[in-house]
Amino acid sequence: MSRIKDLQKNLFGGTTSNVRQFGMIFTLVAIVLLFEIWTGGLTLTSGNLIAVVSQYSYILILAIGMLMVIVAGHIDLSVGSVAAFTGIVVAKAMQEFSIPWPLGIALGLAVGAVIGAWQGFWVAYVGVPAFIVTLAGMLLFRGGNQYIGNADTVPVLDGFRTIGAGFLPEVGPDTGYNNLTLLLGLAACLGVVWREWKTRQTRRTMNADVAPMWITVLRLAVMLGVIVFATLRFASGRVGTSLPISGIILIVLVLGYSYYTRHTIGGRHIYAVGGNARAAELSGVKLKRVNFLVMMNMSVLAALAGMIFVARSSASGPQDGLSWELDAIAAVFIGGAAVSGGLGTISGSIVGGLVMALLNNGLQLEGVGSDMVQIIKGLVLLLAVAFDVYNKSQDRFSIIGSLMRPFSRGAPTAPAGEPRPAPDSDKARVAG
Amino acid sequence: MRKFLTRSLAVTGAVALLALSAACAGEREGATGAATGDSTSAAKGFAADALIGVALPSKTSENWVLAGDLFTDGLKQAGFKSDVQYAGASTTVADQQSQISAMVTKGAKVIVIGATDAAQLATQVTQAKQSGATVIAYDRLITNTPSVDYYIAFDNFKVGQLQGQALLDGMKAKKPNGPWTVELFSGSPDDNNSGVFFNGAMDVLKPLIDKGDLVVGSGQKDIKQTAIQGWKAENAQQRMDSLLTSTYNGNKTLDGVLSPNDTLARAIITSVKGAGKPIPVVTGQDSEAESVKSIVAGEQYSTINKDTRKLVAETVDMIKALQQGKTPEINDTKSYDNGVKVVPAYLLPPVIVTKANVAEAYANDPKLAPLTK
Repeated sequence: MSRIKDLQKNLFGGTTSNVRQFGMIFTLVAIVLLFEIWTGGLTLTSGNLIAVVSQYSYILILAIGMLMVIVAGHIDLSVGSVAAFTGIVVAKAMQEFSIPWPLGIALGLAVGAVIGAWQGFWVAYVGVPAFIVTLAGMLLFRGGNQYIGNADTVPVLDGFRTIGAGFLPEVGPDTGYNNLTLLLGLAACLGVVWREWKTRQTRRTMNADVAPMWITVLRLAVMLGVIVFATLRFASGRVGTSLPISGIILIVLVLGYSYYTRHTIGGRHIYAVGGNARAAELSGVKLKRVNFLVMMNMSVLAALAGMIFVARSSASGPQDGLSWELDAIAAVFIGGAAVSGGLGTISGSIVGGLVMALLNNGLQLEGVGSDMVQIIKGLVLLLAVAFDVYNKSQDRFSIIGSLMRPFSRGAPTAPAGEPRPAPDSDKARVAG
Repeated sequence: MRKFLTRSLAVTGAVALLALSAACAGEREGATGAATGDSTSAAKGFAADALIGVALPSKTSENWVLAGDLFTDGLKQAGFKSDVQYAGASTTVADQQSQISAMVTKGAKVIVIGATDAAQLATQVTQAKQSGATVIAYDRLITNTPSVDYYIAFDNFKVGQLQGQALLDGMKAKKPNGPWTVELFSGSPDDNNSGVFFNGAMDVLKPLIDKGDLVVGSGQKDIKQTAIQGWKAENAQQRMDSLLTSTYNGNKTLDGVLSPNDTLARAIITSVKGAGKPIPVVTGQDSEAESVKSIVAGEQYSTINKDTRKLVAETVDMIKALQQGKTPEINDTKSYDNGVKVVPAYLLPPVIVTKANVAEAYANDPKLAPLTK
């Protein structure tokens, strides 16, 4: 096997074609480099990276939930409204009943869960298409936001603002860096090395192909390099700043949900349902339950995203959440999910979201107006998906094509065999 | 295999070195940032060709578009580099937040903000302040943060008072003796100015309402009832339609409508015309071209001339003073409390415009003057 093929096969995740995802990561790197040069080095400054993470973490959190919804073959248009509704409920509750802010967060998540159960009920047990249920939800909860808030802007407590505008504290000796961020980076490095080693072990015990040593080392080098770079950048921001708390919440969610969707039965059921609902049901997947949980989960994440935005904005306002659903959906599709369901990864969506975020940020740094930014983002979304469709029709390079085949043979759990999930989630972790 | 190993080790080393060197290049910004972060930075001034950021709301009214153009030209003439940004039409608040962050990253020395939602910018404004920039709230006062340095606007309470007075004058001219029946409208509840306009107008109207000379036909006197979400014409038209159906369905006449701005005034007039009623006295504000035409035609009664040219010119003067390290001119240090501190303000006087003085008021305005002939 030639070394190039080795690389392609092993470096960017798995033996199945991950070219699309590789393509997106490549695009992301290209965008970063392009803007880094164009803006004269502003893109990768600590201040800007910190700003980007805290600005887009809530969209990326939505993208996690949206990916699962889309993989299951649904769509959720109500996330922005649910976020705004939760935001105003929490802000009002804290203002009028002066409940402490941790309780406010719990209340917000509970509100999200109740809304999610409501939408999940209609989708899963009554069988109304998710498009309709969430379109109704979009109106319902937007109206609810205005009804409760009197279309007013309600400020929130300083403590609450931690989840959206907070940073890790400065502790320990003066190293010239934020020490806690350094520790997180170190933990990330160790985690990556440990998992790489563990993967090799597993493959060896299973008598599978073990990637050549040089590939492992190269991959580790790239990943560690990125992690070290990101860590030092985030740790060297203005005193009092660090990796934002919202970024940490995002990373935890990305790791958790990546594991869930890749390595647990419940997670694989989502893919099975989205690939072929009937086949999945016949093979014993509890269809209704999966649909219900996916929709409910989305609303809980939307509630969290709403609270993070409110915390960052220091107040809940009537314009919160407007067109968030579109940003989240765009991130998921740019990240390689299929419109028909059954395909897509959390890490892909995060990369897709980051492409949009960095594009937005870079254009804003260049002083490009919001009108042009929207035009460019629209074109990027169209081209990213068109690229995949084209490749599929040419019968090459298509992650969709290569993964759909097992489905059409009626083997719903087949795509579970993406054996090398590792590098992608790491990209997300670094970027997050 | 050994060859691979050595090669890969070399690569590892190279990448690690690269990452380290890239990181070491970035000294922690706080070391210098903390020193200049406090208010003394304003007193020192800054480079004459520094970057000035201007963040404006979405292009929903002529005024903002004009202001943006004037800022671009004015700052250029003054020798500054400028970055003028409008928030997007659909994601206004989030857009403006990230635009302000981008300006901070680019090292803007002064950031002028026409807020989309004045209560949701605390994080970004604080970030700007900590980076050493001076923050000027333009037209809308940014609330709930100690990090706003100055506020520049037309005297909005005065605007309200003028509107209230114009409403009375207009009705007296048509019907010398009361009681007069009126309806009240106010601006978007998320705009800090809406309440200021309304309170200014009520400052004039309230005594007459209490005396019974003025009757609010629908009884809707509370600002929560009169507010028009998003300053949107369609919402004002809807409310006026409902008022006409609920309150003025018989031969009950409506003498006047207090409208906070021109867009809403025209929507109100459209609604009244649609119902086939005589047009009442309707106030306005902003000197929009359509409303100036309407005043000349005798439909809308009044508008307010808040010359955006003057406001932008004053703002640019303020920036010039800051650049030289001087304290900019301030004429109000106690009225504008944003919830955390009283923001020093520079207020410009507004001018009421009716059919009587319309030609004179816009004589110097290249766009509006031809409309008054």
